[in-house]
Amino acid sequence: MDKVTLQVFANHARAAAENMAYTLYRTAHSTFVKETEDFTVQLVGPDGGVFAVPMDFGATWYPGISYGQAIGLIGDYAPGDIGFTNDPYSGYLATHAPDVHMWKPIFHEGRLICFACGHIHNTDMGGAVPASLSRTLTEIHQEGIRFPPMKLMREGVLDEDLLRVMLMNVRKPEQNLGDLKAFIGALNTGERKVRAMIAKFGAEGFLAGIQGVQDHAEQQAREILRSIPDGRYVFSDYADEDSAGGQPCRLALALTIAGDRAVLDFTGSDPQLTSSLNVPTGGNPHHTLLLVGVYYVLYTLNPRIMLNIGLTRPFTCIAPEGTVVNPVFPAAVGMRSLTCARLRSLIFGAFSLAMPERMPAAPAGTSSIMNIMTTDNRTRRSVLAAINPVVGGGGGMPHRDGTNGSGADGAYLKNTPIEITETEVPIQMLRYGLLPDSGGAGRMRGGLATVMEFKVFAPNSRVTARNRDRCRFRPWGTLGGQPGQPSDFILNPGTARAVVLGNADLVTMNPGDVLHIHSPGGGGRGSPLERDPALVARDVTRGYVSPASARADYGVVLREGAAGSWQVDEAATAAERAARPAAAHPAHFALGPERDAFEQVWDSAAYDALTAILAALPVHWRFFVKHRLFAMRQEAPGLGVAEAYAALVAETPGLAA
Amino acid sequence: MSWRIGVDIGGTFIDFCVLDDATQQMHTLKVLTTPDEPGREVMEGVALLQARHGMAPAAVTAFVHGTTVGINTVIQRKGAALALLTNAGFEDVIEMARLRMPEMYSLFCARPEQLIPRDRIFGVAGRVLADGREAEPLDAAAVRAAARQARARGAEGIIISFLHSYRNAAQEEAAEAVIRAAEPGLFVFRASGIWPVIREYERTTTAILNGYVHPRVDRYLDNLGQVLAAQGITAAPMITKSNGGVMGLAEGRTSCVGMLLSGTASGVMGAAFLARQAGLGQVLTLDIGGTSADVALIIDGQPQFGTGEMIGDFPLHVPSVSVTSIGDGGGSIASVDGFGMLRVGPESAGSTPGPACYGRGGTRATITDAMAVLGFLGHAPLAYRSVTMDRAKAEAVVGALARRLGRGLQETAEAIIQVSISSMFAEVNKLVARHGVDARDFTLLPFGGAGPMMGCLLARELGMARVMIPRRPGVVSALGGLIADVKNDFVRTLFIDLVPEAMPALAAALAELRARATRWLRDEQGFTGEAAEIVSAEMRYRGQSFEIEVPLEAERVMAGDTAALHAAFDRRHAGIYDFADPAAPVQLVNLRLVILGRTPPPVFPAQARVAGTPAPQGEVTAFLDGAARAMPLYWRDDLRHGHRFAGPAIVAQEDTTLCIPPGFDAEVDAHGHLHLTAA
Repeated sequence: MDKVTLQVFANHARAAAENMAYTLYRTAHSTFVKETEDFTVQLVGPDGGVFAVPMDFGATWYPGISYGQAIGLIGDYAPGDIGFTNDPYSGYLATHAPDVHMWKPIFHEGRLICFACGHIHNTDMGGAVPASLSRTLTEIHQEGIRFPPMKLMREGVLDEDLLRVMLMNVRKPEQNLGDLKAFIGALNTGERKVRAMIAKFGAEGFLAGIQGVQDHAEQQAREILRSIPDGRYVFSDYADEDSAGGQPCRLALALTIAGDRAVLDFTGSDPQLTSSLNVPTGGNPHHTLLLVGVYYVLYTLNPRIMLNIGLTRPFTCIAPEGTVVNPVFPAAVGMRSLTCARLRSLIFGAFSLAMPERMPAAPAGTSSIMNIMTTDNRTRRSVLAAINPVVGGGGGMPHRDGTNGSGADGAYLKNTPIEITETEVPIQMLRYGLLPDSGGAGRMRGGLATVMEFKVFAPNSRVTARNRDRCRFRPWGTLGGQPGQPSDFILNPGTARAVVLGNADLVTMNPGDVLHIHSPGGGGRGSPLERDPALVARDVTRGYVSPASARADYGVVLREGAAGSWQVDEAATAAERAARPAAAHPAHFALGPERDAFEQVWDSAAYDALTAILAALPVHWRFFVKHRLFAMRQEAPGLGVAEAYAALVAETPGLAA
Repeated sequence: MSWRIGVDIGGTFIDFCVLDDATQQMHTLKVLTTPDEPGREVMEGVALLQARHGMAPAAVTAFVHGTTVGINTVIQRKGAALALLTNAGFEDVIEMARLRMPEMYSLFCARPEQLIPRDRIFGVAGRVLADGREAEPLDAAAVRAAARQARARGAEGIIISFLHSYRNAAQEEAAEAVIRAAEPGLFVFRASGIWPVIREYERTTTAILNGYVHPRVDRYLDNLGQVLAAQGITAAPMITKSNGGVMGLAEGRTSCVGMLLSGTASGVMGAAFLARQAGLGQVLTLDIGGTSADVALIIDGQPQFGTGEMIGDFPLHVPSVSVTSIGDGGGSIASVDGFGMLRVGPESAGSTPGPACYGRGGTRATITDAMAVLGFLGHAPLAYRSVTMDRAKAEAVVGALARRLGRGLQETAEAIIQVSISSMFAEVNKLVARHGVDARDFTLLPFGGAGPMMGCLLARELGMARVMIPRRPGVVSALGGLIADVKNDFVRTLFIDLVPEAMPALAAALAELRARATRWLRDEQGFTGEAAEIVSAEMRYRGQSFEIEVPLEAERVMAGDTAALHAAFDRRHAGIYDFADPAAPVQLVNLRLVILGRTPPPVFPAQARVAGTPAPQGEVTAFLDGAARAMPLYWRDDLRHGHRFAGPAIVAQEDTTLCIPPGFDAEVDAHGHLHLTAA
C-alpha cells in the first residue's frame, strides 16, 4: 500500500476507534469508566492484533494487546456474534475479573475482515469483597465469577441465560447490565464505521491497510531501537509490600538491545505471590501488560508513532513461569495494577540506562484510587462515592521539570471538582493541591506530589485507597538528581490521635476524623547543584521549594526580597556550591536511603541466590520460602541466603521433598 | 436612508459587510489590517464606503463588530498581570485543573503555563459549604494583606474565587469591598459575578480569562468608540459575543469573556442565517482561513451552544456557539518525514510569510501551493487583488517534496490535499459523533478564504451529498454580526432533586433570573424592541457525572410540574444517548435563562430566474483524482439564479476560488448561493 493511502487509512481507522470510545464513555454506568476512564477500545485484524486505538479517550494499556488466543478459543463466528471473557487464565486477554473484554467479528460478503473490541472495568464482579479487588485475596476464585471466552450474542441474539448467571453473581447488577448495553452499542458503532471504510477502501484494501499500519508501526519501533545504543541494561525496582504488611516485591529486568530488536528478560522478579498483586501474562513474549512502559518510551521518543500491535514485534519478553509476572492458575491477580505501575518504572529505568540523555527520571509511579462509604446525617442515606485519585508528579525531563501533581504514566486520570464531591458526599475537603519540597531535587526538578485532606462527620465511614505504594521505596532520581519524597497516608495528622497508615488500603473513620494522603513526588534529573539559581529562587517564591531545601539540596542561598519574592545571593551561592564539589562519577540512579539500606542486605548476589533457590522449587512453596528467608535474615543479620535456606530445609518438613 | 455595517477583523484582513436598507443591497469590502494602529483600518473602511457607495455616517443605524483582540491576547500571552484570591488549602486550583493531560501517551506530557503564577495566588481563611452555610468567617485582614502583596508583586488586577460562591457569594463580595477600599488601583473581578456555576476550576479559569484580557479589550473598545465618533457615526456600536448575540461597547469592556469567541461565533450565526435563507435545516459549517479550519453544526436551523470551548490552552465556561477548531488551513505546511510519510500541518505559514505561491517569502509547500500546482488557483486575482499568484514558486516547493516521495509533481500535490482532507475527516467525525448525528444527513456550508476550495473534497470524504457555497464566502462572519440578536445568558446553580418539595425554590430562581435578564436588556442595553426568553436546565440522572442541557417551558417551571420536567429530560436523554430511564431520580444542577432582543433580519430581494448554463470564461486544465482534466472556468459574478452546470469546474470570485470535482451538479439559487449535489 502506498504511503499516502496508508496515512488516509490510518486516519479513518483512528476515527472509527474514537467514535467507539465516545459512545462507550458517554453511555457507561460504572464509576471506573466515568471517573478514571478505565476502559479501552480497539480495532483488531482477523488474527486478533490491534490496528487502531483512540487517542482521546480511555486508558493507555492496550495498543499492543492481542485478542488472538481468546478469539481462537471459540469458533464458527457468524455475523452478529459477540464473544466475551473476563477470565485472566483463558487466553490471557482479560487481566483481572472486573475487566470484561468483548469482541465482535465484522464480515464482508461472508469473509471475516476484522473485529471491533474493547474492555470495561465493571464496578463489581462478585467474589469475596465489594468491587472484587483486595490485596488480601489469595486465589482467583475469591475474585468474582469468571467466564471463559464464549459467545454473549449469537447472530444478534443475546444469551439471556448467561446474562442471568452473571447478574445473579454480582453486587451491582444494574451497573453491569448498563455497561454491557453501552459496550454492545460501542461495538455496533465500530462495525458501522468499519463498513464505511470497507466501502471506501474495498475489502482487499482494508486488509492491506491493516497490514500496512501494523508494518509501519513496527518500522517506526525498529527505527527508534536502532537509535538506542546496543547493550544489556539491568535494573530492578520494588513495590513496598508483596502482600498486606508483607515484604518488598522485587521486579527485575535485563533489557538487551541489539540493532532493531530488544529482549526484556524479567528473570529475577519475585516468585508468584500469595496475594492479588500477580500480573497474569501466560508467558506471552509480547504480552501487553509487560510492554505498557515500552509504549510510553516509544511515544515519547516519536509522538508520531502509530499505536498498534506492530510496535510489539521487535520486543521479546521472558517472563518465567511461577513468578509475579507469569503466575500459574489459580493465583489471585485482582490488584495487578499496583505491580503494573512498578513494571512501568522498571522499564523506564532500563531505558534510562540505555539512553540517559533522552529519558526522564522516575515519575511518582503510583496513583491511589480513593473511594468512601459514609452516611449522610440529614438523609440518613449511605453514600458510596469516588473521591479524587491522588496522583504524583512526573520525573524531571531532559528539557524541563517534571509536571506537578500528575503526569507521565498517570496523566490519563481525571479528578472530581471539590464542589461536586462536597455536594454529593457529606465530607469537607480541607486541602487539595501540591506538596512543597516533595519533588526530587535536580537540575530538572521532579514534579510535586499531590496532597489531599478531608474530614468526615459520620461514624464508621470507610475509605479505601487502592494501589498504595512508594511509602518506602522512592521514585528514583537520575544523573545526580535526587529521588522524590515518598508517599504517606495518615489519620488525624498532627494530633494525639494520629495513626500512620502507610500502604494500608482501608481505613475506618469516625466523626471529626481528618484523613491526610499524599502521593510520592517525581524524581529529579541531573545534579541540583547545576540547577539555574534563578529557577530555584522562582520555586521558592512560588512555594514549591522551601528556602531551607534551596540551600541544603541545591546549594542556593536566597534573600527574601520585596513583597515576599526571593532573590539569589550570588556570592553566597557560589561559595556554597564551591564547597560541595560534585561527585566525579555520580551513580546513574539515586534510589533513596530506604532502598540503599535494604540492598545492603538484599544485594544482587543475595537476590541471585534467592532466585535460583525459588526457581527450583515447586510454585506452591515459593512465596512461603521467600517470606521465611526474609524473616531469618532479618533476625540474624549477616546470615547468607544459602545458609538460611539450608537451615530452613532442615527445620521445614516437606520442603526437602 | 439607513445603513447597517457589520465588521469582522481577522489576522490579515478586515471584512466589511454593509446593508443599504433603502435598496436592500449588500456591499462588501476588504481592507488590510493595521496591527500597529488599531482602529485605522476601520476609519479607512468607513471612508471607502462613503466614497464608493455614498454612505453617510450619520445614516448608519447599526455598527456591529467582531474582533479577535480578546482571543489573540490569550494566545499571544499578552494579557494583564493578575493575582488570584482563593481559599487557603486550595491555592493550586488552576495548576491541578482537572488532572488529565493531553498527549497521555507521552512521558513528556505537560500542562500549559498558567495565566497567574503561583506566587500571585493567595489563599485566605474563610469557608462556605456546599449548602451555602458559612463554616468559617472571611479573614478580612488576610485579604488586605494579600491585595497589598499582589500589588507589590506587580498585579494590575485581582480575581476572587472562593469555593461554593455560586451558592453564596457573600464572602467574595466582602473580599471585593475590602480590596477596592485598600487597593483602589487594582481592578477586581469576582468569579461569582462572571459565570456563577458549580465546579471551581472551570469557574475560576473563566474569571481569570475575563481579567486577563480586560485591560487590552477595554483600551481597544474605548479607542474604537472614539474612532467611530470621529467618523461621525452616531449609532451605538455593538460587539458580537461568543454566544452568537451582540452587546454594547460599555458592557464588552468588563464582560470580556462574552466576546472571546466574537468572530468565530458570528461566522456560525451568519452561516445559519444563510442556511435558513436557503431553506436548509441540517448544516455543517466549515470556515477555513490561513491557519485553521473551524467547524460547527447547525441542527434544525439552530447553531449549537456549549461550554468549555478552548481559548488557547484554557477552557472557557460561558455559553458559546459550539465551534471546533480542526487544525488545517490554507497555509498548513506539508513535509516528508524520515519514513517517507507525507505530513500536513500542524505548522502553518500563516499570512506571513504565507504560501510560497503568494511570493511573500514563503519557502515551504502549503495546501494553497498544492491547489495552485493542481491548477485550481491563479485564474483570477486573489483576495481583492491584494495577492498575486506565482505558480512557478508553488511548483518549486511542491516539486522538492515530490522528489523525496519519488512521485510526480501533480501526484504529490494531490497527495498533500488527500492527507489534509483525511485528517480533517477524522476530526469532523469526532465532532459529529459527539452530537450523535450522521454527517450524510447534512449539507456542508464552506466559507472563509479557503473553505470553498476544500469544501467539496471534504464533503466527498464524509459521504455528504450536498454542499452550499454562499454568494460571498469571505464576509459570512461580518454578516453574522448584522443579523445577531442582543443576547445574554443567566445561570443559577441549584443542584436539587427534581421533587415537588424543591419546586418553590426552582420557581423563585426562575423569577429572579427573569428579573435580572429584563433589567439587563431594557435598562442596561436600552433595548426597546421585541424580546424573547429561552429557559433551560442542566440535568442528569442521579449518579451520572455529566449534565445535559434540556430546554424547558417556563410555565411548567413556574407551576412546579415535576412530571413534565422529568419527561422533558427523559426525551432529551433518549435523543442524545438512545435510552431514557423514566423511573430514575433526576437532579437539576443549573437553571439557565437566555434573553434575546430581536434584530429584524434583512430581506434580500430574490434575483430573477434564468435558464440554462452560464457562459464560461474559458477552459482550464486541472489535475484531480489522478488525472489532468479540462474543465470550464466561471466568474462567480456571471452566475445567475437558475443557472446549472456540472463538475468538474472552477468558479473564481474576488475573495475565493471554488473547486468543484466531477460528480457534483451545481445550481444557483435566488440569492446567488451555489448548491452542489453529488450525482
